Amino acid sequence: MSAATLSDTGAVHRFRFGDYARYLGAAVFVGFCLFPFYMIVSTSVKPESDIFSFPPSWVFDITFENYHSALFVFGGSGVLPFLINSIIITAASTVLAVGLGSMAAYGLTRFKVVAGDHLFFFILSTRFAPPVAFIVPLYLMMQRFGLLDTHFALVAIYTSMNLSLVVWVIRGFFEAIPIEIEEAAQIDGYSRWQIFTKVALPLVKPGLITTSILSAILAWNEFLIATVITQSSSATLPVYLSSFSGSMGLEWGPYMAVGVMGVLPIMIFTLVLQRHLVRGLTFGAVR
Amino acid sequence: MAHVELKSVTKTYPNGAVAVNDLNLEIATGEFLCVLGPSGCGKSSTLRMIAGLEEISHGQILIDGQNVVGKPARERDIAMVFENYALYPHLNVFNNVAMPLVARRTDKQEINDRVTRIAEMLDITEHLEKRPGKLSGGQRQRVSLARAMIRRPAMFLMDEPLGHLEEYLRIELRREIRALHESTGGTTCYITHDQQEAAAVSDRIAVMSAGELQQVGTMHDLINKPVNRFVAEFVGETPISILEDVSFADGRLTIGDYAIGLNEQAAAACAATPPATVGIRPADFVLGDADATGLSAVAESVQPMGETAIVLCKTACGPATVLLDQVDLPSEGESVRLAVDPDNLHLFGPDGLNIMYQGS
Repeated sequence: MSAATLSDTGAVHRFRFGDYARYLGAAVFVGFCLFPFYMIVSTSVKPESDIFSFPPSWVFDITFENYHSALFVFGGSGVLPFLINSIIITAASTVLAVGLGSMAAYGLTRFKVVAGDHLFFFILSTRFAPPVAFIVPLYLMMQRFGLLDTHFALVAIYTSMNLSLVVWVIRGFFEAIPIEIEEAAQIDGYSRWQIFTKVALPLVKPGLITTSILSAILAWNEFLIATVITQSSSATLPVYLSSFSGSMGLEWGPYMAVGVMGVLPIMIFTLVLQRHLVRGLTFGAVR
Repeated sequence: MAHVELKSVTKTYPNGAVAVNDLNLEIATGEFLCVLGPSGCGKSSTLRMIAGLEEISHGQILIDGQNVVGKPARERDIAMVFENYALYPHLNVFNNVAMPLVARRTDKQEINDRVTRIAEMLDITEHLEKRPGKLSGGQRQRVSLARAMIRRPAMFLMDEPLGHLEEYLRIELRREIRALHESTGGTTCYITHDQQEAAAVSDRIAVMSAGELQQVGTMHDLINKPVNRFVAEFVGETPISILEDVSFADGRLTIGDYAIGLNEQAAAACAATPPATVGIRPADFVLGDADATGLSAVAESVQPMGETAIVLCKTACGPATVLLDQVDLPSEGESVRLAVDPDNLHLFGPDGLNIMYQGS
């Protein structure tokens, strides 16, 4: 970047000491945030001999040995079954939470619901208690229903956890839609359900995307409940990761390789969706 | 094409406010009826009840003799144009216009043909691929009109469609709306608070105030034969003057220091019930100099308006607004006399609200 740049007003803006300080501060902060990620990625492709060298070796031979053992060797079955579990559970709970949540939000916005405001607050209040407080009751419930170590159990739990977030965020988006647009659709011949799916939902797309990303991240990263409810066949990636620390010590190379593979899907999902986040879609709807 | 009848329609909101009270109104097949009134008079509620967007508290709405109360909007065979256009922002103009046909599962080829034709009529062909956000206000309202007309519904409802547009566009679109009405022959109910607009587009005008229907008639009727003080004051570009201190004796009406001989009918009416006030339209005043016959007045301000001028006068009976040609204007502060042809008097009864007699 050059030392002088055009500001919004078109005037030449000279970089002053304060600007440099700000950029330096930002750079330090970004480095601080990204350094652990760098360590994960670099360790995953280091030969075992380089992993513990001190000072850390910045130049090393890149190897995919660790990925091979993570995929096929580790824990007997490798990472794939758990990766697939995570993807199924995250996808299902996200679709359910956003689907049900947007319907609930629409109902609360457009219909006269008895004690609607109280209901709305109640939905948020389900998130007040820390998840750890629910662990034992949840475990007992799932045990009685015979749902321990099933995909269904985690999908149900994550869906209910994400619902409140979805309802709260999407309701604001629905409220921003001018009511006349829906009235016009009513007169044009659409049923309530068609108005919801063909007019209201497309207009709250930014909200759907935002809540999808947040819901997916929560479901993907959740460890506490997953580790209690699932043991083996339905265990998610975080549960699998925790199993690395065993009696034989930690194998850092494959561990980091699993970490990278665990980050990639949610990262790709977020980046893809984020491109569709068109701001101000409803702009120009009226007036 | 439809014949619409409102029978003692009442709308009460949950908080007890009465938006529309015992409204009886008939719109003939193919008629263009304007509902005119100040904001909050219940005209929009009336339209929304006809459309089925608002529930009706009491009464009946008959479309072609069928009571439609309780029927959803989409089963009433209507189209509506909103003040803020209410276009679908996520669809392009073509799909906006096609929406009523798409919702009714019309054949694709026919949708194409009809959208193309209506787009040409309304001069929006070049915008068909754009989204509404890229259009100007006038273009958006054209799209909204096209969407309303695409299906040839039994009835058009228009809720202040020109309210957000600029003056020159309004005049242009008024003409187009009127022409479209004539070409489709549909029944139209049009809401506005602008009396010029109402006069320009409609066959008949219904004046509403405070939830009640005041009078239905042509603009000419409303100006010359208002039924009450609200209509007399609300309709008319320059406000009517209401003069007090009115008395009647021996066939002569006295307004302040001005006595007018009344014709037999008027005298008979005044003998039966003495009038409380008299209304006189600004153009009906005849201005004379200080020694002529008439109500003595002082010209307080003279506002030239091109070909005419408005003279605001102070009289012992209250303020008077006089509309004059731009010749022989009095100067400000000059003493004048205001005379009037007895046929142009609007006499209000003892309550001062309802007309008891007016000339033909």
